[in-house]
Amino acid sequence: MRVRFWGTRGSLPVAPHADAVLAKVARALMIARGRSFADQDEATAFAREETEFATHATYGGATACMEIEADEEAFVVCDMGSGMREFGVNALRRCAEGHPRLYHVFLSHPNFDHVMGFPFFRPAYETGARIVIHSGHPDAEAALRRQQEAICFPVPFETLRAKIEFVTHPPDQPFEAAGLTVSLIRQAHATRGSYGYRFERDGKAVVYSTDAEHGAEDMDAEGAFETFFAGADLVICDTMYSLGDAVSLKQDTGHASNVVAVDLCHAAGAKRLALFHHEPNGSDEDIQRMFYETLRYEELVRGERPKLEVLCAYDGLEVEV
Amino acid sequence: MDWRLSNDGARLVAQPAGRVDEESWKDFSARLTAAVHEAVEAKLPLVIDLSGLEYMTSKGLRVLTMAKSEAKGAIVIHLAAPNAAMKRILAISRYNMLFPVVDRVDQVGG
Repeated sequence: MRVRFWGTRGSLPVAPHADAVLAKVARALMIARGRSFADQDEATAFAREETEFATHATYGGATACMEIEADEEAFVVCDMGSGMREFGVNALRRCAEGHPRLYHVFLSHPNFDHVMGFPFFRPAYETGARIVIHSGHPDAEAALRRQQEAICFPVPFETLRAKIEFVTHPPDQPFEAAGLTVSLIRQAHATRGSYGYRFERDGKAVVYSTDAEHGAEDMDAEGAFETFFAGADLVICDTMYSLGDAVSLKQDTGHASNVVAVDLCHAAGAKRLALFHHEPNGSDEDIQRMFYETLRYEELVRGERPKLEVLCAYDGLEVEV
Repeated sequence: MDWRLSNDGARLVAQPAGRVDEESWKDFSARLTAAVHEAVEAKLPLVIDLSGLEYMTSKGLRVLTMAKSEAKGAIVIHLAAPNAAMKRILAISRYNMLFPVVDRVDQVGG
């Protein structure tokens, strides 16, 4: 399996201002200290190897959308945040090369940042495309239709040419889709909850668990998550806030922290953790700092366990599983 | 996790030792809750002496949150003498913004 991140930001799409990009260029020039490069490839290699990620790149600003490439017969996508627009463009290119126009979409919950990309998803406008939207929420269809009502968007849902189906799944009842065995888990998220997904194929497992709050009052409930994450090759976790913020200022907003994600993965014996759903107020430097802090925390509390590999997801990241 | 609780008249001092993790957090929670009640009853600040603690994971940190909530503002809970690892964990989790952290137990009360 290959996991591809199209949108990794939480809550609201963001983009760096011009001065943020200028600061990156200036920082890279300072690090280069007058060094000259034979060509752009050599300069690119220098930037990649000699500067930090926040200097030579960006975590991106599109909201949640993640693809799992598992089956040549269908596309598999988690969430429909603003990253779905770019995924749609890419998918059409692959369809032109012969990929079937079947899309299985797994929705964590129908909050706006997780569905806002759908009206801009070009395959939805294609005759002959088939889109199956899997959700734990029975009102996922109502949410998608509502955001395309005239007061919100100029193109009504009814005019989309793709064949669009909605399937509601109860948690704890695994099902097969796109060559994957899929399980759901109910997660605490504000008043209506969200769903995490576990995808398994050929002995490999990927878990997608975003918009899940793990509060101080319900720590006993975390055993279910440890089971759900058990032995996973990759766990993608909402790590929007520090734990201190998650239990105080941001309590009940439905999000998790980097340290809880590490602890759940440690307890579950997961192999890799991808930090996801980044705080929209966070600059690239802020997110990179949170990433470094997470690496340090994992090291401090690892004990006798094997090392948990921690990645910080960014728009465009591909991970082989 | 080992645990000692002492009252020197100026403060109630809780001394967890070892690790507070997914194995020991419930024990830590039960003992800390009892200590909070004792401190409230005695009208003394509660100091958690972290000097014997190797580390605390997020479950232990969240037990601290529950203890603060249990105290209902009647007493202040202080964290004292964290080792380098615990100091780092408190900074990473931003719990050093939620609790007063001091270098020595005797800096509290008295």
